[in-house]
Amino acid sequence: MLDTLLPILIFSALALAAVGAVRRVRLWRQGRSSPVPLIRGLAAMPRRYLVDLHHIVARDKTMSNTHVATAGGFVLAAVLAIVVHGLGLAEGVLGWLLLAASATMFAGSLFVARRRRNPPARLSKGPWMRLPKSLMAFSLGIFVVTLPAVGVLPAGGWLVALVLAAVVAWGLAELVFGMTWGGPMKHAFAGALHLAFHRRPERFSDKRGGEGRSTGLKALDLEDDQAPLGVETPADFTWNQLLGFDACVQCGRCEAACPAFAAGQPLNPKKLIQDMVVGMAGGSDARYAGSPYPGKPVGEHAGEPHGPIVARPSAQAQGRTALVDAETLWSCTTCRACVEECPMMIEHVDAIVDMRRFLTLEHGNTPNKGAEVLDNLIATDNPGGFDPGSRLNWAADLDLPLMADKREAEVLLWLGDGVFDMRNQRTLRALVKVLRAADVDFAVLGAEERDSGDVARRLGDEATFQSLARRNIATLAPYRFTHIVTCDPHSFHVLKNEYGELGGNYEVFHHSTYLHRLIEAGRLNLKAMKASSVTYHDPCYLGRYNGEYQAPREVLKALGVELKEMARSGYRSRCCGGGGGAPITDVPGKQRIPDMRMNDVRETGAELVAVGCPQCTAMLEGVVAEERAEVKDIAELVADALVENAAPGGAGNRPRRDTEEVAL
Amino acid sequence: MAFDALFKPIEIGNLTIRNRVVSTAHAEVHATDGGMTTDRYVKYYAEKAKGGCGLCICGGSSPVSIDSPQAWWSSVNVSTDRIIPHFQNLADAVHEHGGKIMIQITHMGRRSRWDGFDWPTLLSPSGIREPVHRSTCKTIEEEEIWRVIDDFAQGARRVKEGGLDGIELSAVHQHLIDQFWSPRVNKREDQWGGSFENRMRFGMEVLKAVRAEVGDDFVVGMRICGDEFHPDGLTHDDMKQIAAYYDATGMIDFLGVVGSGCDTHNTLANVIPNMSYPPEPFLHLAAGIKEVVGVPVIHAQNIKDPNQAQRILEGGYVDLVGMTRAHIADPHFIAKIKMDQVDQIKQCVGANYCIDRQYQGLDVLCIQNAATSREYLGVPHIIDKSEGPRRRVVVVGGGPGGMEAARVSAERGHEVTLFEAAEQLGGQITLAAKAPQRDQIAGITRWYQLELARLGVDQRLGTRADEATIADLRPDIVILATGGQPFLSQVPEWGYSEDRGQSLVVSTWDVLSGAVEPGRNVLIYDTICEFAGVSAADYLADKGAAVEIVTDDIKPGAAVGGTTFPTYYRSLYEKEVIMSSDLALHKVYREGDSLVAVLENEYTGAQEERVVDQVVVENGVRPDETLYYALKQQSRNKGQIDLEALYAIQPQPCLSEDGDGFLLFRLGDCTAPRNTHAAIYDAIRLCKDF
Repeated sequence: MLDTLLPILIFSALALAAVGAVRRVRLWRQGRSSPVPLIRGLAAMPRRYLVDLHHIVARDKTMSNTHVATAGGFVLAAVLAIVVHGLGLAEGVLGWLLLAASATMFAGSLFVARRRRNPPARLSKGPWMRLPKSLMAFSLGIFVVTLPAVGVLPAGGWLVALVLAAVVAWGLAELVFGMTWGGPMKHAFAGALHLAFHRRPERFSDKRGGEGRSTGLKALDLEDDQAPLGVETPADFTWNQLLGFDACVQCGRCEAACPAFAAGQPLNPKKLIQDMVVGMAGGSDARYAGSPYPGKPVGEHAGEPHGPIVARPSAQAQGRTALVDAETLWSCTTCRACVEECPMMIEHVDAIVDMRRFLTLEHGNTPNKGAEVLDNLIATDNPGGFDPGSRLNWAADLDLPLMADKREAEVLLWLGDGVFDMRNQRTLRALVKVLRAADVDFAVLGAEERDSGDVARRLGDEATFQSLARRNIATLAPYRFTHIVTCDPHSFHVLKNEYGELGGNYEVFHHSTYLHRLIEAGRLNLKAMKASSVTYHDPCYLGRYNGEYQAPREVLKALGVELKEMARSGYRSRCCGGGGGAPITDVPGKQRIPDMRMNDVRETGAELVAVGCPQCTAMLEGVVAEERAEVKDIAELVADALVENAAPGGAGNRPRRDTEEVAL
Repeated sequence: MAFDALFKPIEIGNLTIRNRVVSTAHAEVHATDGGMTTDRYVKYYAEKAKGGCGLCICGGSSPVSIDSPQAWWSSVNVSTDRIIPHFQNLADAVHEHGGKIMIQITHMGRRSRWDGFDWPTLLSPSGIREPVHRSTCKTIEEEEIWRVIDDFAQGARRVKEGGLDGIELSAVHQHLIDQFWSPRVNKREDQWGGSFENRMRFGMEVLKAVRAEVGDDFVVGMRICGDEFHPDGLTHDDMKQIAAYYDATGMIDFLGVVGSGCDTHNTLANVIPNMSYPPEPFLHLAAGIKEVVGVPVIHAQNIKDPNQAQRILEGGYVDLVGMTRAHIADPHFIAKIKMDQVDQIKQCVGANYCIDRQYQGLDVLCIQNAATSREYLGVPHIIDKSEGPRRRVVVVGGGPGGMEAARVSAERGHEVTLFEAAEQLGGQITLAAKAPQRDQIAGITRWYQLELARLGVDQRLGTRADEATIADLRPDIVILATGGQPFLSQVPEWGYSEDRGQSLVVSTWDVLSGAVEPGRNVLIYDTICEFAGVSAADYLADKGAAVEIVTDDIKPGAAVGGTTFPTYYRSLYEKEVIMSSDLALHKVYREGDSLVAVLENEYTGAQEERVVDQVVVENGVRPDETLYYALKQQSRNKGQIDLEALYAIQPQPCLSEDGDGFLLFRLGDCTAPRNTHAAIYDAIRLCKDF
């Protein structure tokens, strides 16, 4: 009887899955076009899955083993089940292999079940709670129905057959039909295609050992009158972005990493992705079974594929909501902790900035100081609205060489908008001191420099970003330099990764990298730092955005520092709260992100936290009021450790005039 | 950006000054060695440059000629080429920190003394005596005029060759140039006097000669007065005319403007306004000059805090602010703004200890910052944390000495407990601040309050420490700064009794603290002649009492400095306080409801009586030694301070010796009555190595 039932069940499930797949593909195709190499993408998919995705999943060994057993067992079992039970080819080794595959899957599903017994808060519940049972139903069902096929057991009576068929049907429904129609297993189908058609193919490693990093935001085509400025409705995302959202497994690793969520601001990256999933099909978030946006109960928001994600201002005025509230989008610090953690390689930050672009460019609705900062950038080329002619006021006594005079230099020192901030001026002065001590041939742009455009871009003002970027590129064009060095990771990132698309290609170093090179080359004579316990805070735009975790640590090592690392460091570093224009949009939460970060510092017992970003310095030092560790930039620490006499041209070499023979 | 007006660089001539804050010219009185700038001098200015000051103009009244004496105030001697290499060292030290340095050069004419050193004959346009220095002078001859003009040019050359960034010609404070300008002093009828052009001629010839010598690419400025405040002197309109006249030559690069002339005691007090003046009292005069000239204008005079400076600069009244005393109080003024430590700036309170010492020919020191001008000795402005053991330090007494000891010990990283019997910190500063126009002296205490709170010092106010409380804390070091009490018991005939109801006399402390009600008819006997007596007189008069202040010294307030006694006198005379000299208080007795004070003439012995209802005696402080002697024998060092180490600014040897129990030191008036600076200096030089 099973011989009859099983092929029917299997092929019905496959047929239904095909219907589901068509439906899903149609959902994704509501999105805007985005050409992808179909065949090459599909061909690359297995490697992307097995190498890149697995690399992230493997950060949790138990989970990755569980997934290998369950998913690997399932894929094998499903294929073999079609062959063995669907086509009735049970001869030889195939049946035994199917037994082994389903047994492996069953073993894996036991671990899945165990994890679901006391699931951490970050995991979504709801349908996900039944998944282990479904997995067990499938694997156990297939296992048992395969036993007669290999002749271990006799086929049972019809009642047994019916029961077994029901179990298998349950398993097939969840795991095959559910894969495309919807449900927890959707992630396998969407995930596989998402990997194949990812909007950032350069994100993946390649066999030649490519770094596999792609963090620069993609430019909007401002020349195209037809293209919407940013994303207003779910359908405004590109189709492969929608596909990416659908791949979410709701594991909540993003939620656990998100600084805004931890601070009680109304953002949860997982919920945001799920809201997009809701939006692309239309409906309310009522069935979402994970942690809500802090302070925002589930069930009060709904959307549709062609309806606004954020309620239009007129609707907001009447107290109506849409899919997501604007403050959710403005809570993001663009720290990429979510993206870094996401095992499905979803691009949360891209999505958020896309939606911000619409709010800013179409509605001019950048909250709090946002509009003022953008106005300042437009009027003065710097976010503070300072007189652009005053860029070098802080260095009036340093006699900095100007590119306009020199025309060429080994290093173009990009100063950044920290020139207007007294705290950062100390860092800059320290950096200049170190460069001079190492006899580096450098020059600055002075009043010719403009804001890099980072803040404008993260606030969604792509037009201002592009205007600033193009003008900076034009300014840089006539000058000859080997590389750009900057102490601002935001400028660093933008110059290195986001100017290229607009025609500016440079070799850019963060100052920690450059200082490390100077130390390696023996160009700095340093004494050990005075004994003090030190920890290091990785700036997001240096670390996660650009993968530079080592150089600052090497510099500190060269100063004789033994780091007391924070639990959250390296790629898991917690944001200071200063990125993405978050201090400007300033969405309130229950606590402040920099306070949390300083608590991380406090836990190490360090008396000093070394930083490498003006924004981090401002947040950790300027915002945290209570007693805290000292905050010093890497450049300041190096400058303090300079042995001045050895530096060529250093002040210590100044000859003292002999006045004795002339003194009375 | 906060304070952006301060941090906007400015071009003076070909020179870029990194900010708008200037330490203006003043006599430092430590260019010893025949007028050659010393290590002390260089480090004093290097510290200001390190602290961020934009421009230092050093060497107030540095003479270019040998008949403008240098030695009285140890001025920088610009009359010889020997100064050149010294200037180079000075310039390098300031330039190293990004600062710029110029020097004021001058011929002081009659404004000096002739009775010493080379016994010069002083020069002046018309030979008219100068009252402040009691200096007589000759009428300058044509040949001497041209010689002095050339001396200016040679002086300017030396400055340029020495690598300084510019010169300021002094035409202020009634030096030779403005002696020629002022019809009050210039009565000549030749080409050097009379008409406006004639009176301007000497200064113009000096300027031409200097410019010819140094060329166009060297900064030459001029410091002028904004109004002489003499009926027969130069008015503000005259000064505007003069400023515009010189500005029109295109030969000057900047003007410094000082309100008020200063050839009398009363006008001199205006020049360096003490705490009785409002903020920037003469800004309007500088702003008036700025209206008529094209070059940048610098103005100093009671500009002390960064907000005030920002307001003045933002308003565009002047181009640069002189914050000279502000930098004497805290040479790291700018750095602290930049470090976002504005609350940590030690703000000048206008006590004028600095300038009053200078006018006595003593080195310029700050009443509240003992590190200033002692940089060369290694007295630090920024106290480093100790790398040695963390010690428990107990300080008893929250006056200036105790507060400084607590601050320095806490900066060193020690665990500090400070006991103060009163409910608030300050000690005698609290009393001093009670007098009319003297409230700003409390700024000294206010800074310590902020610092001690910032440093986490355990402050036990309203708590009188005794042997037991101190022992409970198991201290490693005990510092006693318990001060003393008014010394009224010295002369039994005064009738002082600890029982206030019985006592015939009260102290200035009783008056100022409000412990006794002001009398209606009061005699103050002040044998000390410092601040307390005149303060009590001013206070009582202010409360409506009829006051006579009597001293056996040469005049009441005789020991109050030259820029401060005039402001007391203005107030006392206005309130009809009678000031009597040469009378000692012989005896006080009661007669009915009144008191009779018997005064005896110092020189004739003749006695006279005053019938009053209150007799206030100011006889200084008697140290309170009780606690010291209670602790002395238990202490490891028997309370002794190693003087060689102390004077050499070296660590006390006992700090590195092992032993049980505590070290005991005492500071300030509980040892012997001296002054605020003495107490603070002892505290920092003792505690900086804890």
